[in-house]
Amino acid sequence: MDLSKRLKVEVIGPEPPCSRCRSVKENAEKASARIRANGIDVTVEKVNILSEDVIGRYGILLSPALAVNGVVRIMGRVPSDKEIERILAQTS
Amino acid sequence: MVHFMEIKRIVKTVIMLSFVVFFVVMMIRAIIGSYTLTPTSTAENLRGLPLWKIPLVYMWDYAQHGWTCLGFAFTVAGLFSEFIPQSFMMRYMSSEKPISYLVATLIGPVFCVCSCTMVPIFAGVIYAGGGIGPALTFLLVAPANNLLADIVTIQVLGWRIALADIIAAGISAVVIGYAVSKTPWGKRFEAQFKKNQRSAASVELVKQPVDERLWNALKFGGYLAKKIVPAFILGLVVVSYFQAFFPENIVKTYLTGSLGVVFAALLSGPLYTPTLIEVVLGKALVDLGMSPGATIAWLMGQPYDIPNAISTSRIVGWKIVITYGILAFAFSVISGLTYGILVGM
Repeated sequence: MDLSKRLKVEVIGPEPPCSRCRSVKENAEKASARIRANGIDVTVEKVNILSEDVIGRYGILLSPALAVNGVVRIMGRVPSDKEIERILAQTS
Repeated sequence: MVHFMEIKRIVKTVIMLSFVVFFVVMMIRAIIGSYTLTPTSTAENLRGLPLWKIPLVYMWDYAQHGWTCLGFAFTVAGLFSEFIPQSFMMRYMSSEKPISYLVATLIGPVFCVCSCTMVPIFAGVIYAGGGIGPALTFLLVAPANNLLADIVTIQVLGWRIALADIIAAGISAVVIGYAVSKTPWGKRFEAQFKKNQRSAASVELVKQPVDERLWNALKFGGYLAKKIVPAFILGLVVVSYFQAFFPENIVKTYLTGSLGVVFAALLSGPLYTPTLIEVVLGKALVDLGMSPGATIAWLMGQPYDIPNAISTSRIVGWKIVITYGILAFAFSVISGLTYGILVGM
């Protein structure tokens, strides 16, 4: 694992966040707390699925979606914190 | 250790599959045996009861027959949303070719069980430069033909009415979407987003083993049930009183014949009913004497209720909402009349 790497997690959903998006955000926070313990810099951010920026970068998505370092990895479902942790570990 | 994990996966898959198979078999059994899954209580039965007992008897009636149908509907909705190749369909829906209308009509029923996915898809198609036509088609067809509502309609109101409703709603959604995209204000609105035609999006979905995908599907079905069933129960309470006390002669006077079609369309449009309740309320009205033609108009008048119209107008503006509202009303009247002529008023 490259410890100098930074990870940017984006939770993508409508604004205000729906209940499923909130669960994705919670799980992402949990996963990144564990990853952070390994000394990796992780940020979690909720972004609006309807913003021009998000649509420009990712196209039409099913909410909720999760992107890591600019790549959508999950959409239309709520991943568990363990799964997010696995994805983060793979990316870093 | 690896072995153990694999066995666990297989066992999990088998358990989940048998759950799915159970509901499918129960449903087929119900169809073949032509059990009725709908309540059999009539206004006369209900009226004789003490007030507090009416909703309980009515709900018990639904619970006895309806649980198979609801269980099946939620399971299937979960499976569809998990196993349909989503990103593939999204790409087609935002293309400018006529096929996007077809895709919108076909995928509406699959996704649209939850409004928190519907509005983002609608707005997403527009913002991504896909055009207002297919986006509107999707928006109209999704609540009208959603999978849950279709399954319940087939069971509660019979396949003839359900099929007529599905076809009529599909056709009118396409025509309305196309018509609105040709109006001057539709074109002007669309022009704002033409520049947004996007390049390839960076999407690389994680692949999951079958057992996890099945679990996702069932979890989503359960989530839908949790969201919809409480509102459904509340709706049943209201409908039970309605069925017991609403005067039959009003229904027989105003909800039959050609005028009945117009009234049904007028009534069901602005009236906001949670998913599935419109079907149950429709059933109560049919029992009280609503004609088949008016039933179709009633079922089709769903997509332009007021809360929906408000949230859509924030994205596309009032002019477009009013245009499609009027068109949708016209189409539910036309479809109701056509069906009425075909099967008899």
